[in-house]
Amino acid sequence: MRQSRREVVWGEGMRAMRWRRALLMVACGFAAGTAWADDAARDHVVGCMRANIPQSVQVKEVELTATDRTGGKRVLRGRLYGTRVDERLRAMIKIESPSDLAGAAYLMRENGGGDDMYVYVPALRKVRRITGSAADNSLWGTDISYGDVKQINNAFSAGQVDLLGESELSGHKVHMLALHPAPETDSRFGLIRLWVDQASCVTIQAEFVEGQTVRKRLVVAPDGLRQTGEHWYAADAQMSDLQEGTSTRLKVLGVSSDLNLSGRYFNPSTFYIGN
Amino acid sequence: MQRLIVWLARHSWVSIGVVAAVSVGALLSVFDPTTLSPRLSIDPAIERLLPAQDDDRALYDRVRQQFGETDPVLLAVGFDNVYSVDAISRIDELTRRLGELPGVKQVLSLANASNPVADDFGIDLSTFAAQARAHPDRIEQFADRIAENPIYRDALVSADGKVAAFALTLSDSDENQFRRDRYVQRIRALAEEVTGSQRIWITGNQVIKAATTDAILKTLKFTVPAIFVLVAALLLIAYRSVRAVALATLTIALSLLWTMAAAALMRVPINLVTALVPPLVTTLCLSYAVHLLAEFYVRHRSERPQARLERVYRRMGASLLLSGLTTIAGFLALIPGSLPAVAQFALLSSIGVAASVLLTLIFLPAVLARIGPRRRLRPLGEAFFVRKARQLALFDLKWRHWIIAVALLALPLDLYFASRIRVGTEYIKSFDASAVVRADYEAINEAFNGASLVSIVVETYVNDALTDPVLIREVDRLQSWLKEQPEVGAVVSYVDHLKLINRNLNEGDAAFYRVPDDAVAVKQLLVFGGSDEIRRLIDSRFRTALIAVRIKVDSSIEIADFVARTEARLGQLSPPLNARVTGAPVLATRTVNEIASGQQTSLLIAFGVIWAMLALMFTSARSALLALLPNMLPVALYFGTLGFLDITLNPTTGLIACVVLGIAVDDTIHFLTRFNADARARASEKAAVKSALVSVMRPVTFTTAALCLGFLVFTGSELRNQVQFGALAAFTMLLAWVADITLTPALGSKLRIVTLWDILRLDLGQSPQHTIPLLSGLSLRQARVFALMSKLERHHSGTRIIRQGDYARDIFVVVDGALQVWVDSGGERKVLSTMRRGAVIGEAGYFGQRRTANVDAETPVRLLRFDSQDLERLRQRFPRIAAIIFRNLNRIQAERLARVTAMLQ
Repeated sequence: MRQSRREVVWGEGMRAMRWRRALLMVACGFAAGTAWADDAARDHVVGCMRANIPQSVQVKEVELTATDRTGGKRVLRGRLYGTRVDERLRAMIKIESPSDLAGAAYLMRENGGGDDMYVYVPALRKVRRITGSAADNSLWGTDISYGDVKQINNAFSAGQVDLLGESELSGHKVHMLALHPAPETDSRFGLIRLWVDQASCVTIQAEFVEGQTVRKRLVVAPDGLRQTGEHWYAADAQMSDLQEGTSTRLKVLGVSSDLNLSGRYFNPSTFYIGN
Repeated sequence: MQRLIVWLARHSWVSIGVVAAVSVGALLSVFDPTTLSPRLSIDPAIERLLPAQDDDRALYDRVRQQFGETDPVLLAVGFDNVYSVDAISRIDELTRRLGELPGVKQVLSLANASNPVADDFGIDLSTFAAQARAHPDRIEQFADRIAENPIYRDALVSADGKVAAFALTLSDSDENQFRRDRYVQRIRALAEEVTGSQRIWITGNQVIKAATTDAILKTLKFTVPAIFVLVAALLLIAYRSVRAVALATLTIALSLLWTMAAAALMRVPINLVTALVPPLVTTLCLSYAVHLLAEFYVRHRSERPQARLERVYRRMGASLLLSGLTTIAGFLALIPGSLPAVAQFALLSSIGVAASVLLTLIFLPAVLARIGPRRRLRPLGEAFFVRKARQLALFDLKWRHWIIAVALLALPLDLYFASRIRVGTEYIKSFDASAVVRADYEAINEAFNGASLVSIVVETYVNDALTDPVLIREVDRLQSWLKEQPEVGAVVSYVDHLKLINRNLNEGDAAFYRVPDDAVAVKQLLVFGGSDEIRRLIDSRFRTALIAVRIKVDSSIEIADFVARTEARLGQLSPPLNARVTGAPVLATRTVNEIASGQQTSLLIAFGVIWAMLALMFTSARSALLALLPNMLPVALYFGTLGFLDITLNPTTGLIACVVLGIAVDDTIHFLTRFNADARARASEKAAVKSALVSVMRPVTFTTAALCLGFLVFTGSELRNQVQFGALAAFTMLLAWVADITLTPALGSKLRIVTLWDILRLDLGQSPQHTIPLLSGLSLRQARVFALMSKLERHHSGTRIIRQGDYARDIFVVVDGALQVWVDSGGERKVLSTMRRGAVIGEAGYFGQRRTANVDAETPVRLLRFDSQDLERLRQRFPRIAAIIFRNLNRIQAERLARVTAMLQ
């Protein structure tokens, strides 16, 4: 039922957008002008979303609760470090509990030609660089992948983004975006639909479409938006794998921004060291 | 009962009206009037023949819920060389296009499988397709990469590098949806379009189930009309009347409709077992209709329609009801402890038999009387059958002891061969060798060293237990043992993933292709290095794992052997490891074995129930046993044949014995009922054997011919088990016919049977036990039993019953009417007395004296007549009744003696 309502909202948004475009064309009479207007609006939304990533380091204390098909739960806690360098995302997550996984860390560095990923496994005492199509692989058996982390952190460097229109979702006025991942990312998703809260520029819902079906859905809890300083973030969200019947709840337990942290957290040689 | 018969005969339109009303209701139950589509569902899954609460089925469902669909659809496409840029590009394109098909959840192929390449700099996790695009020079290494990877070996590409595989997981669509949406055709068309290859094979559990559904539907569409055509043709040949044939065929169609309505109302699906019900009901109803037509059109001078109906109800009531009840007993005997599908088959068949008996007995005579042909039909071959039946009767009587001896000798021989019967079936080989579904399965089975998947679920019930290296090594040893089994083509578990992760995170060093020594390291590798695929092999809490075993055998016997061996090996695992085997082939095998193992019990119950019913009806345990013997013989011969020809006992061949027993006993009952009536009427068992055989041989032969032809229609099925069912059932029916026209008369020649029906309908007047001194002290039932063991005769007024001076040993008891006793005294008729109800006459003859007087019927009379042989038979079979009769006879004699003495004094 919820899904069909969303489809309706999406459809309404599309119709509204087309209507608006038609009016614009009649008013201006110039298609190029319309395209320019669309691009500007999209860039504005994307820019607003990126603005939620602080230029300086933001640290989120996160809790991931993965629920498997049979209802079995596994809880991971850690710290997610994020920053924006030259308009590119840097993110590092480090596990703090459970104790037998503590110390493990992932570093993700967004760049133009394909993102870099590094993993540190304490038991091996090794850092390994991961290349290839790992972006959509789940992180530690949860339903969240590196690609999802990028969405959560509002980074769209590798892919085509379209602004489809405006609508309303769960009492929020939203922008509707469609992201088509770049072919070189080897993403299994052909389309990611985003509902971005207009007030905070935070994604409050996302659908990951594989083939013709929605494979995963991210939903931010109704009261899950938080603000720290000028930056908004989703403090409580759930990613559901609709095909597998599993889900992962991501809760942000605390945030500190603009901390004067050294760049070692985003350095492949040192990201795993220390607290 | 008599009143019911008269009422039915008088109100035939009421019977027709009620049947019409019920039939309209049945039609609405079977077909949706708005869409005209049938309401019956088809369920081709063998594993669902198991009860829903079954432990094994619950495990299978739980494993699927926890680890996802374990039976993907397998597509294999032939290429000149898979390891080429062009082929990989096409595989990539096809993988993408397949993923776009609605309902396809996941497609795994060489294109999207990750090919981890580890070196000092890191790990490249890109797919084979991406590597082929970026580094075409790497393609030549792909074969080696796949060969050394136990997860991909014999899974993505065939060993010769010429066939690429695609594993498609579909989102929660059942096999009916899969079939309706024509996935197989769509996948095949897409594969052809994208690859241009003509070598395309598709298999998997759902594919085989869809093909099975098609085969069941085709069989039903073919067998039911074919049997109807046969029925009509046979009846036309036998009775040469289009109207009679049309009405008999209508009766059969209504029986089938009522049965299917019952299936729809009870929500019983048409599955591999219940699919046999429609043709079975059709053939059974045909057999009843043949017997009824034979009786309906028997020659009777100037008989009014109502009298004819009464006669048909009276004559056919006993035999048809008894036939129906024994057949139902045979079917119901399948139920105790059986699988739901078998119970459903038994229940539906029983309902079908009940409907057939009811309609044949009530409806068919009613419509025949109203709108059937008036003229007497001239059945084909009547004279021929009469002649042959007489010859056969003489043969049976002459060689009686030999016939019985041969039958008795055949029993232990059959039991010996029956002891060699193996239980099992072959699933894919149930299809014809030319069937696409079988050819595809066999091609994939050969190319990828196995096409059926079995799962071994390892449970510990302890979080993180499966990260303990000690336990992992035990699982690893189990996996090695599994690989050594001849039935196994490939085995994959999380241990393979773990070793690969360990190697890849250690710069691809082959020395690290092993299980780490530390549980923490294991867990970290699994959590941080594992791909999504590992979630299909171990749960997130590391307490339950799945070992995926690809097997290359299809026979349930081989699968059962493998499962038994594996279960024994699993029993050796150390705690907390606790493992069980599951999977669709395992459940199907278990189902087959359950059905077959229930045979012995079902047959014993069937024999017991039918014997008890016969004993009740014939009021004699011994007679019932003798009636059963001719039916035990074909069943024994059937099982002996299975053992001799090494035909396995499977879900369909397992049903034959009970089905044939239930049907074959009908013919025995028809013979014995007629024999009983004729023996009583003719006062000679030998004459009765002849007349009974003359009477039943033609309908029994036509019935058997119809049943055999009906069963043989199954040989046109696409499914081998249904072909086997048809051929073997026809063969067994033929054996039953031979036994019925030879052994039954041989055994029955010295038998006199009193049926319960006879007892119920026998009219001895008001309270015979109180009004007839000879019957004093007996209950009403006992009085009737005695009367039936004697001969109840009717005589017209003026008939001479006893002639003075004759030697005869019969005693007469007057039931009603008046007899005049007189002597010829010098040419003068001297009347001694008039005897009325209860009087005993002729006892002097019984004690060896000449008849001392003449006895004539003064009015129409009914007399009970018996002799010393009758009394001896009574003494043997009903000693209590005989004792009272002897006592009464003595008392009557004593009273008579006392009276004579008093007169002399």
